[in-house]
Amino acid sequence: MDPSTLDGGEIARLCILAVNLIIWTGLFLYLLRLSKKVRAVEQAAPEADHEP
Amino acid sequence: MKTLLAWILWLWIALVIVGALWWAPPLPGFQAGPDSSRIVYFHVPMAWTSFVAFLAAGVFSALYLKRREPRRDAAATAAVQLGLAFGLLALVSGMIWAKIEWGEFWNFDPRQTTIVLALLFYTAYLVLRLAVADHETRRRLAAGYAVFGLVVAPFLFFVAPRVLGASLHPEPVINAERELKMDPAVLWVLLSGSAAFTALFFWMHSLQCRLAAIARRNGLEA
Amino acid sequence: MSSWLAEAAAVFAKDWRAELRTRFALNTLGLFAVTTLVVVSLALGPIGGSPNGPSVLSAVLWLILLFAATAGLPRLFVAEEETHTATALRLAATPSALFTGKLAYGLVLLLALEAITTPLYLAMVQLPVASPGLLVTVLAAGAVGLAAASTLVAVMVAQARARGTLFAVLLFPVLVPLLVMAVALTRQAVSGEPANVGLLPLVLYDASVIVAGLMLFPAMWNP
Repeated sequence: MDPSTLDGGEIARLCILAVNLIIWTGLFLYLLRLSKKVRAVEQAAPEADHEP
Repeated sequence: MKTLLAWILWLWIALVIVGALWWAPPLPGFQAGPDSSRIVYFHVPMAWTSFVAFLAAGVFSALYLKRREPRRDAAATAAVQLGLAFGLLALVSGMIWAKIEWGEFWNFDPRQTTIVLALLFYTAYLVLRLAVADHETRRRLAAGYAVFGLVVAPFLFFVAPRVLGASLHPEPVINAERELKMDPAVLWVLLSGSAAFTALFFWMHSLQCRLAAIARRNGLEA
Repeated sequence: MSSWLAEAAAVFAKDWRAELRTRFALNTLGLFAVTTLVVVSLALGPIGGSPNGPSVLSAVLWLILLFAATAGLPRLFVAEEETHTATALRLAATPSALFTGKLAYGLVLLLALEAITTPLYLAMVQLPVASPGLLVTVLAAGAVGLAAASTLVAVMVAQARARGTLFAVLLFPVLVPLLVMAVALTRQAVSGEPANVGLLPLVLYDASVIVAGLMLFPAMWNP
C-alpha cells in the first residue's frame, strides 16, 4: 500500500475510514467516562442514604 | 474487567469499520456508486440492532407485567429509546443510499415503509407514557403496548416486506441467510458488524438503566 | 366454558342495549362515514371506470372506515370509566369474556357501518364489483382486525389523557399492515386483477391481534 500508487477513490475511502474511527473512538470514550461517573455515584450513594 | 471488555468492543467495532471501508468488497450490482454501497455495512447492523432492542423492550415489559418491579419497566423504556435511535439511523442511512443509488430519498419500498411504521409504533409507546399521569398505570399500560409490539415488530420487520408488494425494486434483505451467493467477506463484515452493534446496544442500555436507577433512588422519577 | 360464553354475551348485550337507547356510536360512525363519503365522491367524481379508479377507491374506502372507527370506537371503555360501571364490570366478568364481548360489540358496529357505507359508496363513484364474495370477506376480515386492535387500544386509552388523539396515535401503526392488505384485496375484489397478497396473511394477522389482545387485556384492565 505504497502512498504513491493510491488512486483518488482509495484516498477518499481512507479519509472516510479515519473519520469513522475518530467518531467511534470519541463516542466510545464518552461512554467510558459516563460509565465511570455512574459508578462513582452508585458507590457514593449506599453510604449517603439509608432509605429502601 | 469491565473496562477491558469495553476496550475489546472498541477494537471489535474498529475492525468492523476497517473491514467495511477497506477490506471487504463493495456490493455487486450498484452502478451509481460502487463504494457508496459500503453503507450497507452500517445500514444493516443498525436495523438489526433496532429490532433486537424492540424485542428486548417486549421481554422486559412482559417481565414487568409478571412482577411489577419498576426497574424492569425502566429497562423497557431504555430499550425502546435506543431502538428508536438505531432504527432512525438505519432509516436515514438507507435513504441516503437510496438517494445516491436511485435518485430518490423515498422509494415506496415495502421494507422502507414498514420500518417507518415500526418507528411510529414505538414513538407511540413514548407518547403513551407521556399521556398517563399515574406512575403505576403508566408502567402497566406501556408494558402492555410493548408486549403487543412483540407481535407487531417481527411482522413489520420481517413478514410484511415479503407479503406486501414483491413488485417493487429489490432491496437487500436484512437477514443475510437469504443471500446464498453472497461474498463471504461481505457476510463476515455484516454479521460481525451486527453482533458488534448489538453488544454496543447492551452496553448503552445498561448505562441507561443504571442512570434510571439513580434517578429513582433520588426520587426523580421519569 | 358456558359461563364464559354467557359472560361475553352479557357484556355484548349490555353494550348493545345501551347503544340502542342513545344510538350515540351508531350516529357518530354513520354520520362521519356518510359525510366523508359524500365529500370524497364529490371530489373524485364517478371514477370507478377509470384505470386508476379501483386502486384509489379501494384505499379511500378503507380510509373512511378507519377514520370512522377512530371517531366511534374509543368510547368502548370510556363510558365505563365515566359512569363508574368499571368496578362492577371488573367484579362481574372475567377479563377475557369482557374483551370478547367488547370486541363483538365493536365488530357488529363496524360491520353495520360497512353494510351501510359500502353500497352507497360503490353507487356514488360507480365502481363495479368483480367478485362480491371476496369483497364481503375482505370487509369482514378487515373489520375483525380493526375491532380487535381497537378494543385493546381503547382499554389503554380509557385510563389516559387526550383520549381521541392518543387512540389514533397508538392504533395506526398497528393497523397499517392490516389496511394495506385489506386495500390490496379490495382492489382485487373490485377490479378482478389479482393482488400480490392472499386472504391468509390477513386472517393470520387478525388471529395474532386477537390472541395478543386476549393475553394482554387482563393486565391492562385490572390494576
